[in-house]
This record gives sequence, C-alpha cells and structure tokens, in this order.
Amino acid sequence: MRTSVVLWTLILWASSASVAAPGNAFYNAEIGNQVENLTLDKLTGGRQPFLGDADANVFLFFRPDQENSRAVLKQMTALALKLGDKRVAWVAVVSDAYAKEAVAAAVAEAGLTMPVLIDKGDALYGKLGVVLHPVIGIADKQHKLVAYEPFHKIDYAVIVEARIKRLLGLISDAELAAALNPPQAVDGGDKVVAKRHLKMAEMLFAAKSYDKALEFAAKSLAHDPEAAGAHGLVALILATRGDCAGAKPAIDAALKLDAKEARALAAKEMCAKAK
Amino acid sequence: MNMSRASSLAPSMFLLGLAAAAGAAPAAPAKNAAPAKAASAADKPAKPKANAGVKPTRRAPLAPLPPGPDVAWSHAPFEVGQCNICHKSGDPKAPGPVVDNSNDMCFTCHEEIKEALAGRKFQHDAIDAGCTACHNPHNSRYKKLLTDPAPQLCYECHSDIEKVATTSKVRHGAITKERACLACHNPHAANVEHLLIQLPYDLCVGCHSTNDLADDNGKKLMNIKQLLTDNEVKHGPIAQKDCSACHQTHGSANFRLLVQAYPEKFYSPYDPANYALCYRCHNDQIMANATTTTLTKFRDGDRSLHYLHVHKEDRGRTCRACHEVHASHKPHQIRDAVPFGSGGWMLPLNFKQTATGGQCEKTCHNTKTYANKK
Repeated sequence: MRTSVVLWTLILWASSASVAAPGNAFYNAEIGNQVENLTLDKLTGGRQPFLGDADANVFLFFRPDQENSRAVLKQMTALALKLGDKRVAWVAVVSDAYAKEAVAAAVAEAGLTMPVLIDKGDALYGKLGVVLHPVIGIADKQHKLVAYEPFHKIDYAVIVEARIKRLLGLISDAELAAALNPPQAVDGGDKVVAKRHLKMAEMLFAAKSYDKALEFAAKSLAHDPEAAGAHGLVALILATRGDCAGAKPAIDAALKLDAKEARALAAKEMCAKAK
Repeated sequence: MNMSRASSLAPSMFLLGLAAAAGAAPAAPAKNAAPAKAASAADKPAKPKANAGVKPTRRAPLAPLPPGPDVAWSHAPFEVGQCNICHKSGDPKAPGPVVDNSNDMCFTCHEEIKEALAGRKFQHDAIDAGCTACHNPHNSRYKKLLTDPAPQLCYECHSDIEKVATTSKVRHGAITKERACLACHNPHAANVEHLLIQLPYDLCVGCHSTNDLADDNGKKLMNIKQLLTDNEVKHGPIAQKDCSACHQTHGSANFRLLVQAYPEKFYSPYDPANYALCYRCHNDQIMANATTTTLTKFRDGDRSLHYLHVHKEDRGRTCRACHEVHASHKPHQIRDAVPFGSGGWMLPLNFKQTATGGQCEKTCHNTKTYANKK
C-alpha cells in the first residue's frame, strides 16, 4: 500500500514536472502567485509601478509592429472605456527594443488611453516569462496573479471582460465559464418546430378552419408527441365539432401529460355538457 | 418560418399570393416591395453587432414565386391560404397591408428567433433590415424560404468574404458544401463573435475528425480530433479552441489556409518573413539575439539556443524541425521524432525537460544538455 502511494506520488510529480506551464500562465508566474510590482518608465515621461492599487490590475504586453497586438490595443481601449466606472487599473507594456516613435504611432492608431510603460532590457518580460504577444495578465488588489490570457483571435475582449468582472465579483463562476466556452447557438429542433406547428394550428382553429387546424396539430405531435398543448388542441377541435368520442383519447393524453391543460379541460367540459 | 414542402401548389394559390404580396406593399410593384421595418425597440437590446462594418442593404422580393417543380418550399399561412394571419384582410384577391410591418409579426410564430436574439450575445445586422431581407414570406426554391441559397445570399452583403472565398489560392471546402456559410455561422444570433455557432475548434472538428478528408489537390488532411486525443500537450490556440489564430477559414494565399507564411521545409536559411505565422504571437526577438537572459528559456546560460538553431546559412532549422504545430507528447510541443533520409525513417529526439533547462539525446547531434540558470 505504502509503496503504491509513493509510486503514484512519483508519477504525479513526474507528469506535472514534464508538462510545464505554457498556455496556462506566464512561465515564471503561475495563477495565484504574488507578482513583484516593478516600476517602469512611462512612454510619456516619468515612472510608475506596473500594477496599481485597483481591485483589478490589468497589464497588456504588446509589440507595436504586430497585427494582433495592434488589434488588441484597440479592443482593450474600448473595453477600458466600457468598464470605466469600475475599479480597474490598466497598463500596456512594451519592450525598449522598439523605437519610441513606433510605439507612439501604434498607441495613437489604437487611440490608447491607458499608460504605456517601457520594459527596459525586457526585465519585466523575463521576470514573468512572457513569451507571447499580445498577452494580458490580471492581478488582484494584493497583486496576486488571477488570470493569464494570451491572444485569442475570437472573443478575446469578451474573455478579458469576463475575467475582470469575475475578479470584481460582478459575474459568477458559471457566467465566466459561459464566456470561456459559450453555449452552442443552434436554432430549430423538434420541439421548436412542434411549437410553431401548434401556433399555426391555434390560428387556424381561431379562424374556424378545423380540418387544417387538425392537420397542423398532427404535424406538431409528429415532432413532439409529448406536447400536452397539441393533444389539448386536438381534443378541443374535435369537441367543438361534436366529435366527443374522437376527442376522448386526446383529452386523456393531454391530461396525462399536464393535468391542468386548459384546452383539454375545456373539451372535457364541453363533452360532459353534451351528454 | 413555418415551412413545409409544397408538393403541388395550386395555381389559385399563386394568384392568392400575388394578391397578398400586392396588398403588402400597395405603393410599389410587388417585386420591389420594401422589406419589413426593423424589429421594435423593445425587442432590440443593445448588443454587439456581428460585423459592424457591413451595411445590410439587401432588398429581397416579397412576391410569391410562380408555382413550379423547383418552388419546393412554402410558408404555412400561404400554403393553406390564410392570408389574414399576416395581412389585414383574409381576401386572397385583396389581402391589404400586413398586420404589423416589423419583425414582431414573424416572431408571433417564430418565437425561438426572438428568444435567440434576446438571449445571445451577438446579433446579425441583417435583422435590422427585416426578416424579409433574406426570407421570402410566401414561397421559395430554397430551404428556410431563403431568397437565394447560401453562400450567394450572404455574399450580397459580405462581398469581401466572397472575394476571399472565391479568389484565394487555397480555398476552404466547407464553403462549397451544402450548408456553406451556415455550417459555421448562425444567421440570426450567436454567443461567439462573427456569429459562429460554437468556438472555432468545436466547429472545425465537426469535419476534421475523419481520415478521409482531402484538400483541393486531393492530399489527405489530418484527423485533428484523433491527433489531439493522442497527444496531450496542445498548442496554446488549440487549447483555447482558437483554430482561427493560425487558419484563415474562408480562403488564404498560404497552404493549409494559414493566415501567414510558414515554412514547409525542415531546413531553411533564417528569414523572419518565413515565420510570419508564428510571430503573430511568438516573439521575433527570440530569434534576433544571440545572447539573452530574458527572451527565451531555451538557452544555455545567456546563449540563445533558438538563435543557434535557426541562424545557419544552409541548414537553419525551421520551427517545424523541433516543434509539432498542433500537439505532441512533449513540453513545448517538441516532436517525438524527426524525419531522416528519403526512406521515411523517423529518429527519436528524446527531449527531456529539467527544472533549469533540458536535454536532447543523440539524434541531430550528440546528446546535449542546457541550463538557463547556472
């Protein structure tokens, strides 16, 4: 028993050691780690720590010569504006390997309003183990790393927004999960088609077009045999036409599925009076 | 729309429809009748538009098509001759105007579309032009009463996509298949940008999960689902279900629909242009500096081994020489083996990651160990 526990521990340790973090976090800073708050030069002059004292501190590493970075600068400018009333601090970080003019041009093109910090000698890049551009990290008020999001071509702003909102307690874990893996958007299906045929049957019944109403109610039931409403409508149509014998199975079927099905109850009452 | 196959539409029904259409737009010839106005404000919450740059300008004909064997689909109220479901009068010869000239009238029966528009994150701009921008409210040659089949219908507004899809050197087979655009996009509303039905990966493996799929030239395409099932270390975009990060799904100038250039060869002199695809996310500076203590962990002390591998005049290793692009068993998607000679031999790399670096066993070179912290 003891041997197997030791063996499993070794296997787990080996597997975790062999698959180091890329994709889930910065190379040198995992989710939950405390992040050292380096002070960097600002593009516009002066210096500031790259993490603020807001409830959510968002830092974006970018390259001015890269299409994805430029697109993300625009997206995050819009997102910062959208979340303007929230306690969020934003900075964009760029390597000093790029000419200030090139950085300024990319910043102007994006209409970026957040501070741009210059990472001299890629010190912060190396400390965190950044590797990818663009990439966004989010730290909490205590500067603990809570999210790492490398570039996504699809839904990047949606995901970053959800990460920030989760940190701020504005959305639940389930809502965050839905943003990260959105539900499929598929229309139609048997129940939907059944409901539509039932609507049509209802309108035809209202227009006293009973044969056609029955036809569409039957179509509805073909798609959803468990639709109490469709059974109820069949019952009501037949009862209205005085066919209480024909209505009986439909009344029973409807009330078996839903004891309070109004049209089946109406048909039942109609037939009881007719006796 | 409530549709059913109309096996035989009576000529009288066609006349009825014509009259109905004329009644719907009495001030204009039926063929050029104005589409229904936009959905009411109450039903149109402020939502991100799927493609804010595209103006829905389409004006589809509202009149019924003349009956014929190819006019196989009809709207249920039209089929049963109940004009007054949509029009003010039930008289087929003079049905008068529609009851409500907005999408709301359609939503009376098509509740699921209203729910989708209200409940999903992104909405198709075309909805603002009215359901009738894409659907004929009477009958059609095409499923869902579309006025034209996809992709032609979609191209009427999305001409930029048409250009890419029809003129690119490498084209995506999915666009020419039956469902075309609708295989990946929901035309009403969706929870993913660009009205994608699901995240890209979930859509892609819908087709790329068989062994018999081939490209335009007949070359077999990889069973991606199988590959990813068999290999646990996945490239970041794949782990994020973001195939679009590397593949342009409508059409591309690059092989395998890649967004930008990627070397097909094992050896190549170093040229950043060859790696444009990788540098969309990865840092080109990794390859630009012979020494670094920050840019890459693939270094021995401060000697960049990335730089060392790619900067060789005739036998510079391309990314693919060491990395699998989709997934592998090794960290950093290092390949299990490299090809050798023309006989299809594969020599194992036996890469091992250590706490401070790693090791490649004798294959391309003698066993070498590196440590980025000494």
